[in-house]
Amino acid sequence: MKPILLQGHERSITQIKYNREGDLLFSVAKDTVTNVWYSVNGERLGTYNGHTGAVWCVDCDWDTKNVLTGSADNSCRLWDCETGKQLALLNTNSAVRTCGFDFSGNIIMFSTDKQMGYQCYLNFFDLRDPQQIDDNQPYLSVPCSDHKITSAVWGPLGEFVIAGHENGEINQFSAKSGEVLKKAKEHSRQINDIQPSVDLTIFISASKDNTAKLFDSTSLDHIKTFKTERPVNSAAISPIMDHVVMGGGQEAMEVTTTSTRIGKFEARYAKMWQFASLLNPTASTNITQSSLEEGITNSAFTTSSPHLSSFKFSCKGWVPVIEFNLFTSHRLLQNKGREVRRGL
Amino acid sequence: MQDTVDMVDDPEYEEEEPSFSDPEDFVDDVEDDELLGDILREKPQEADGIDSVVVVDNVPQVGPERLEKLKNVIHKIFSKFGKITTEFYPEVEGTTKGYIFLEYAAPTQALEAVKNADGYKLDKQHTFRVNLFTDFDKYMNISDEWETPEKQPFKDFGNMRHWIEDPDCRDQYSVIYEAGERTAIFSNDAKEPITVEERARWTETYVRWSPKGTYLATFHQRGIALWGGEKFKQIQRFSHQGVSLIDFSPCERYVVTFSPLMDTKEDPQAIIIWDILTGQKKRGFHCESSAHWPIFKWSHDGKFFARMTPDTLSIYETPSMGLLDKKSLKITGIKDFSWSPGDNIIAFWVPEDKDIPARVTLMQMPSRQEIRVRNLFNVVDCKLHWQRNGDYLCVKVDRTPKGTQGVVTNFEIFRMREKQVPVDVVEMKESIIAFAWEPNGSKFAVLHGESPRINASFYHVKNNGKIELIKMFDKQQANSIFWSPQGQFMVLAGLRSMNGALAFVDTSDCTMMNIAEHYMASDVEWDPTGRYVVTSVSWWSHKVDNAYWLWTFQGRLLQKNNKDRFCQLLWRPRPPTLLSTEQIKMIKKDLKKYSKIFEQKDRLSQSKASKELVDKRRAMMEDYRRYREAALQIYQEQKSIRLELRGGVDTDELDSNVDDWEEETIEFFINEEIIPLGDLYFIPQKLWKILPSSQYNGAECIS
Repeated sequence: MKPILLQGHERSITQIKYNREGDLLFSVAKDTVTNVWYSVNGERLGTYNGHTGAVWCVDCDWDTKNVLTGSADNSCRLWDCETGKQLALLNTNSAVRTCGFDFSGNIIMFSTDKQMGYQCYLNFFDLRDPQQIDDNQPYLSVPCSDHKITSAVWGPLGEFVIAGHENGEINQFSAKSGEVLKKAKEHSRQINDIQPSVDLTIFISASKDNTAKLFDSTSLDHIKTFKTERPVNSAAISPIMDHVVMGGGQEAMEVTTTSTRIGKFEARYAKMWQFASLLNPTASTNITQSSLEEGITNSAFTTSSPHLSSFKFSCKGWVPVIEFNLFTSHRLLQNKGREVRRGL
Repeated sequence: MQDTVDMVDDPEYEEEEPSFSDPEDFVDDVEDDELLGDILREKPQEADGIDSVVVVDNVPQVGPERLEKLKNVIHKIFSKFGKITTEFYPEVEGTTKGYIFLEYAAPTQALEAVKNADGYKLDKQHTFRVNLFTDFDKYMNISDEWETPEKQPFKDFGNMRHWIEDPDCRDQYSVIYEAGERTAIFSNDAKEPITVEERARWTETYVRWSPKGTYLATFHQRGIALWGGEKFKQIQRFSHQGVSLIDFSPCERYVVTFSPLMDTKEDPQAIIIWDILTGQKKRGFHCESSAHWPIFKWSHDGKFFARMTPDTLSIYETPSMGLLDKKSLKITGIKDFSWSPGDNIIAFWVPEDKDIPARVTLMQMPSRQEIRVRNLFNVVDCKLHWQRNGDYLCVKVDRTPKGTQGVVTNFEIFRMREKQVPVDVVEMKESIIAFAWEPNGSKFAVLHGESPRINASFYHVKNNGKIELIKMFDKQQANSIFWSPQGQFMVLAGLRSMNGALAFVDTSDCTMMNIAEHYMASDVEWDPTGRYVVTSVSWWSHKVDNAYWLWTFQGRLLQKNNKDRFCQLLWRPRPPTLLSTEQIKMIKKDLKKYSKIFEQKDRLSQSKASKELVDKRRAMMEDYRRYREAALQIYQEQKSIRLELRGGVDTDELDSNVDDWEEETIEFFINEEIIPLGDLYFIPQKLWKILPSSQYNGAECIS
């Protein structure tokens, strides 16, 4: 497994995501740029320029037509994936923390931060109704006054959104009425990341409370817990194997003051059925453990290639170039920062 | 949605205010005493004057001509304690009766007078006896008939040594974690700890085991509680507000508690000695500073306990809790003392004073006979180290010999079991970091030198008194010595600043059995049998990676137990063995026979355990598989909805809509290599004359 190094961001990467086929990889960072890459060799396909603040989240719809990004510049933007043209600009009162396309790609949701006197909202727009975009008027806006949403994904069939909160709560918000359909309070601290399985039937939540937990998407039943010794920043479920991957480490604020040895920055594979059952959480079997110099902020599996997973690292101190690795089964060449249009 | 989230603003919630008044038929059945007993005690009492009167006996009997003089003398003595408002000298036939009444302005002054003037020697014939007037009443009223105290029902706590009967001889330990929120008792097992008891907020600070492991003491704002028996039921409570330190007597009969609060002049409560079995307070003591806890040191059998104050050593005896022979020992300049752990012998030392040399004294108790005195010169400091059985005493003497700079350390080894207690000396020029006796042997270990050149030396005290250096390991990363309680094996640990380096040593042949590390370890704890040792990183000293690791005595790591905000692990001590030395010898002789049985047992349990583990994992896998099957079935049922949502395109499998695919050719810029021609030419030109023409042609081909 040889990793490919992708260099295209100048500040910490905040999220990465593959499209459905897994041939493209989207990355967003605090440096306002959204990059899209060929996953097969790590070549950069292009950038989506327009945001003026840190970009917190990115998503791509199922047929790789549109790309959605949310940023701290108080806006959520819709892009044409192929041409990089900005299709819509949705202004908000506070930073956009999470965003996503539903199963059909017709409805988008995004959540805003609780800041500057505004509370956290979960907004829903129907793209089939251009009026909503023009008026910047969502068909549904759900306020979350208590604890802001820190991570959110769509549930299966676009019926609801699964949102992880600052206090460790996980809620299902109906996309039709905005109601809380189900609640789960398994985590004791902030949810850092939520990622669904390929078929969206289960999802994994990564929390600051040093655990990652597996849930059923529809019933929100807790299935398994994966324990580590450090806050988990990101977790993902392998599309083809019974594996999950977890990345984490010391909180970014403490990174520079602790040695890498104490920080335990590593990505950890755990066999899903073997780790975790609540009966015996100590029976952990690590398939492989890779120690990394810097903290992992996000990770993603492709849906296609079994061996392709990727992590990205936050910067430690003030390193000007942020890199992330693509682990592949193929020996591929390394290429730095060439802009190539997606061939037709 | 709006309603559920903004519940707080709901008008209904604001209107309903709970009523705090009692219902009409409520009867207050709480006694004031129970509710605020501690405050009631300080409630001012109405003074009727009687409380302020003292009676002084043994006053000289004088006629009227000397009465004035007597009054002057009495006044001089007794006005020290407060203003005397009235004095009365009863007379019969012109002479005083020999007792007088004095009234003070306040009852506290009267108390002070009783305390200080009682036993005052006026002259050879007259020693004052001073008592409170009210005391006479009190003692007169005592009924002449003996009232048998009410029989207390016997509380059966079950077998207090239940844990010793464990068929697999597992030892127990207490663990405090979640920053003190939770306390648990585990049974130690090589595979994984077995939970015996776990409670939230069992203690407010930390816990202590009694010396023989019978009781577990927990600390609370109101006092301490003792727990024991099979289910860790509460055995006893000792109410001592703000208790912070405790100490058990070695016999487990008494417990000493210390609280920095609650000390008053007339009622000493800083230190209280309790009887564990009855729960009664035996005696209270004053205490100014708890810096050198334990303040009271117990003799090995719990018969005596001693305390050092400037220039005195007070020895008390049990069960009366009174001073031994009613007087303290006056030892000018006493710096430190220590009981022998094997006999009723006390060792103490006094520093040099002008021409008098420093002195270490061994004194037999209760006879107070000095059995050995050793004079020492140029002493800076002394430390007393007893071997656990009391066979040897090592006095570590830091000296500055005349004419030299710096400190030299002498180890003065007292051989207690021999006549006249012979002393041998080992001198060391390097600074000493740690010293420790082998608990039941005649070896001792010393860490000496300066970091990073720290050496570990092992000495053996031979029968003829010769002290032999057996082995020295140089350049050790260690600052503490931990002997196994059974001797022979030890752990040299570099705790905290030395990152938790560990060396497991067998001192019978002085080999390093293993060298390991528990990063940032702060504590090392041997189990009472010397089979296992635990290293731990306590949340009290280090905030991350709080865990305790279990090792065998040989240094093989068995378990890593990560516990959230782990604080403290303490092994439950075992009572001393009931076997005689001969029986132990016999067991050691037949060890091979026993080990066969145990090995077989181990193998059996191991295969059983691994089978259990496999079964457990299988069950887990099966559970998960079943769940997935059910989930996938629902998923299949929803296929039509999915197709509808994505405009009829089947996206369930990556290649399920392969017919709709369009061939797409992507060209990648793979590689470009630029080879500067000039350079290539330059090198061959140099070689022109040397190279044969064929090679030269080859170079041309490349370019």
